[in-house]
Amino acid sequence: MSKELAAKSVEELAPLIKDKSLSPVELTEAVLQQADDTQGEINAYMEIYRDEALDMAKQAETDINNGNYKGMYHGIPMGIKDNVYFKDKVSTMSSKIHKDFVSDHDATVITKLREAGVVFTGKVSMHEYAWGITNNNPHYGAVKNPWNHEKIPGGSSGGSGAAVAVGSSVASLGTDTAGSIRIPSSACGIVGLKQTHGLVSKYGVYPLAWSLDHVGPMTKTVKDAAGLLQIIAGYDKQDPTSVKAPIDDYVGSITGNVKDLVIGVNEEYFFNEVDSGIEKLVRNAIDELVKQGAKVKEVKIPTLKYAEWAELVTSLSEASAIHHSDMLTRPDDFGNDIRMLFELGELPSAVEYLQAQQVRRQLKQDFQKAFNEVDILMMPTLPVLPNDIGDDWADLNGKKVDLIDNIIRFTGPGNLTGLPGLSVPCGFSNGLPVGLQIMGPAFSEATILNAGYAFEQTNPMGNNKPELLK
Amino acid sequence: MSLSIKQLLENKGIKPREEHLEILEGRRKGMAELRGDLSGVAIDDADIGMRNIPGGDHVE
Repeated sequence: MSKELAAKSVEELAPLIKDKSLSPVELTEAVLQQADDTQGEINAYMEIYRDEALDMAKQAETDINNGNYKGMYHGIPMGIKDNVYFKDKVSTMSSKIHKDFVSDHDATVITKLREAGVVFTGKVSMHEYAWGITNNNPHYGAVKNPWNHEKIPGGSSGGSGAAVAVGSSVASLGTDTAGSIRIPSSACGIVGLKQTHGLVSKYGVYPLAWSLDHVGPMTKTVKDAAGLLQIIAGYDKQDPTSVKAPIDDYVGSITGNVKDLVIGVNEEYFFNEVDSGIEKLVRNAIDELVKQGAKVKEVKIPTLKYAEWAELVTSLSEASAIHHSDMLTRPDDFGNDIRMLFELGELPSAVEYLQAQQVRRQLKQDFQKAFNEVDILMMPTLPVLPNDIGDDWADLNGKKVDLIDNIIRFTGPGNLTGLPGLSVPCGFSNGLPVGLQIMGPAFSEATILNAGYAFEQTNPMGNNKPELLK
Repeated sequence: MSLSIKQLLENKGIKPREEHLEILEGRRKGMAELRGDLSGVAIDDADIGMRNIPGGDHVE
């Protein structure tokens, strides 16, 4: 019974909690039990807030019994990525340098989740300072992919991805600078949403690269992601990049109707150099929506050929600026992999950084032109499958390719442009989950969530679950 | 005269690990290849969206 509860989505659990047939305490106990049962193998958590979680669950139960049901996430247990601050709690960023850092305030997203009645089960692991995609952490150990424990879960929000996939967190928050929500979501077989830049506050979240960072939902289903976005979206004057934009009814807008939706496909970039198993699944997904009444149109986005360079120069430079002082005084305290990235980020000139911003502007204009012709774009989330833990190379149709260069190829443009991207599971290749990415114009979250939901209803993952959830 | 990666980093006070130098050189070359000549990008005359907001962020 405990595992059955832990396996359920928010959209399944919320009605049970609302009508009092399920106690938040019972649910939290089940999720904490699953965290205990899986931690030794998967290593998703940095710290578990056992007593506080049960106290919060009891409070939720009391509130609901008194007629104060707050909505879909009331009483839902969630572990949160360890770069999102909780007041008076340690946030390590899964680093050695910040191992004792205690914030004096909650992140804005945490304040909003508290108000929504979420139960916090603890902090989940991440790639050190979010600067990588393997979650093979030199200080706290590797997080493992729940579908194959020899494989990476993706990153940097790999703890969030693994925890949601294995049911040790019902949903989670990730952060995304080049794909760090969508990459682990694809690798772990869950839903991940990187919303439009500025829609969700980053206040109280440790930065990786200011102009590219996002905070967003990682969930079991598309409706769960919509419900979580509904809570965390909104203007925050404490975040200098926050935007005053209308907040849609993300859950209410999900109808599953995609009749006459125009899907854009960019063959030249997003279907070039893709694992053949992944490509087949993503093209099948597009065909499924066509069967439901959508149309397909090919679009050109010429500046994409420089997107990877602009993403690398921007992210490397901004990240190295943030960590420059520690690189001068205590470089040995960084993991070897990110220390090398911080060294690399010291090399681009100011001219190169600014040229990357010029590329970025033109890329935004190219995407906008494409979105004048189509409603959404669909492509693979990742061009390659998750690799073995400890291996820096990925397999691309029998060819060895650099992992980090390849794994961010299809997600990075969303960070450069700030446009929203949703990763939805679309099946398995070699026993590993594959993600379909849906991008849309700025603030079109309702549209991409609806398209994701329409595809999700075709049940592309069947009834498969990770072994530890059976 | 072009400076080596080691010299460039040491000029900024950063001591790279010796075993990183060859990898850094390879990555730097890889990035130069990705950049190419930026043909088609209006590098010389494109304005960019770097905002200078008098009064600070979010002036109400």
